Amino acid sequence: MMVSVTNAAVSAAPRKKQSEFMRVMRQMRKNKLAMLGLIIFIAELIIVLLAPFISPYDYTAMDPIAIRQGPSLQHWFGTDDLGRDIFSRILYGGRYSITMGLFSVAISTTVGMSIGAVAGYFGGQVDNIIMRLLDIIQSLPAMLLTIVISAVLGSGYGNTILALSVNGLPAAARMLRAQMMRERDNEYIEAAQSINCSKFRIIVSHLIPNSFSPNIVQATMGVANMIVMAASLSFIGLGVQPPTPEWGAMLSGARQFIRQSPHMVIFPGLAIAITILALNLMGDGLRDALDPKLKR
Amino acid sequence: MARYVLKRLLWMIPIALGVAVLVFTLMCFCPGDPAEIILGSTATQENLAAKREELGLNDPYIIRLGTFLSDTFIHFDLGESWITGASVKEAIAERLPRTLLLSIIQLIISFGIGIPLGVMAAVNQNKWQDNLCMALALIGISIPNFWLALLLVILFSVKLNLLPAMGIGGIEYYILPALAGCTNGIAAGARQTRSSMLDVIRSDYITTARAKGVPEWQVIVKHGLKNGLIPIITVMGTHFGKMLGGTMVIETIFAIPGMGQYIINGVNNRDYQVVQVGSIFLAIAFSFCMLAVDLLYAAVDPRIRARYAKGGKRRAKKA
Repeated sequence: MMVSVTNAAVSAAPRKKQSEFMRVMRQMRKNKLAMLGLIIFIAELIIVLLAPFISPYDYTAMDPIAIRQGPSLQHWFGTDDLGRDIFSRILYGGRYSITMGLFSVAISTTVGMSIGAVAGYFGGQVDNIIMRLLDIIQSLPAMLLTIVISAVLGSGYGNTILALSVNGLPAAARMLRAQMMRERDNEYIEAAQSINCSKFRIIVSHLIPNSFSPNIVQATMGVANMIVMAASLSFIGLGVQPPTPEWGAMLSGARQFIRQSPHMVIFPGLAIAITILALNLMGDGLRDALDPKLKR
Repeated sequence: MARYVLKRLLWMIPIALGVAVLVFTLMCFCPGDPAEIILGSTATQENLAAKREELGLNDPYIIRLGTFLSDTFIHFDLGESWITGASVKEAIAERLPRTLLLSIIQLIISFGIGIPLGVMAAVNQNKWQDNLCMALALIGISIPNFWLALLLVILFSVKLNLLPAMGIGGIEYYILPALAGCTNGIAAGARQTRSSMLDVIRSDYITTARAKGVPEWQVIVKHGLKNGLIPIITVMGTHFGKMLGGTMVIETIFAIPGMGQYIINGVNNRDYQVVQVGSIFLAIAFSFCMLAVDLLYAAVDPRIRARYAKGGKRRAKKA
């Protein structure tokens, strides 16, 4: 998401004194909570990327002597039912959980925006048909739709990402469509049409850059949502399967030991909660920064 | 108003059919041969072929779809579970109310607590009450509800031994599931209430109301909250979907025999008849709840009511 914002800003830079992107970033920087969220999330990304160097144990290494031990100096977050170090597993698990959130939002935003752009630009019957189809998808609760799709596709990392991204489509499409309908009647679009710009070019290089900022906020919030959904899917045994150290899958495995070893349940969930908190802080800050009512 | 309700109810028909077609089509791509799932891996080739013919699996897609739709919506024949052979209709009749009830209770608790919290935060903007509420709300929306459910089990069932950890029975069995499911809703309700109250509270008519000596609580509730209610109802509607999804997962944690547990077990056992019919009925029930939310808009806002009335007349003229 951020990359495309930068591109849009760079291409617009020579004409404007201050690009939209810089303005938003300045607003964001004033917002301490949003910066805190950004820092936590980036720190998490770095830690997860450097997992092989940071993690004290191999995440698959079993230790038959240290089974279901509570947190200690040797094992910061304790060990699980096979004697594997939970801290190391959470570090590697972040790779699955966080990337599942990011990729599914990337797919649903890109595809959803393309659908929304077509519906918003052409209007009329095209719009009507697309919107009715999206109505049907949206009349299934997101979790139910995801469960049905992952039943069809089967479990696994890639399939879960696909299943998750389908239910992000309607919201992304609607958001861009509404924004484009507002933008469509502007004079610069008429100007572009009068100099014989192709429809494709009008949509891609004039309309989308001017109407996709609500989609960015939605996407930021969406990542948090998708991470929770991915974890719940793995938790009920549909998403990523154990022994993969995905956070939800870890919780799923820990469930049967909830009476004897609550630490196995607490730490993976804490990892999810902190990630979601950071993303929500970022999303709130971004929404406030992009809110035209607050422009100074 | 009656005309609008009727129009919305009629609109439910294509939605329900659309959902049924979508789910049926998706389930066609499920891996595995239904005949083999029903008869088990020991069945002979002849038996499998006979079963396939009996289920109509050799017919083209469009005929199977037609049979399925007429069975489901005209004859109300929902078939049997592939694994247990139990009637799906009976299971749904027993389970659907449980899931819906749990979700609706969660929704009521969420907004029953969330709206007052949000109003309190907005009225005391930037004071400690506001900061506390918003900090709690931020934590509330960040805790995944299935993890919270597990934490509640650890605290109340394992450590304190106060509440049962699973099963159904008296009201005490529903306390933890409801609590686990509603924190996200409380937080979302409080956040939306705060922001829409802040939008409203600076309007001129609020100043007018205060100037003419209306008691402060009346200004807040009658003049402020009533006008800020529309976005709150929107959030309520979108949140209901999340709650229903959350309830599905929470049911599996607390072993509540509801639709969520039914469908998820169906997926895990490859009992696709259960998944297919269960999903369709859960989605239809969900659409009815969303219809209720839409009607709530009209009940709250006379402007929307007027627009519906006008829309109805215009349509009547055209016809």
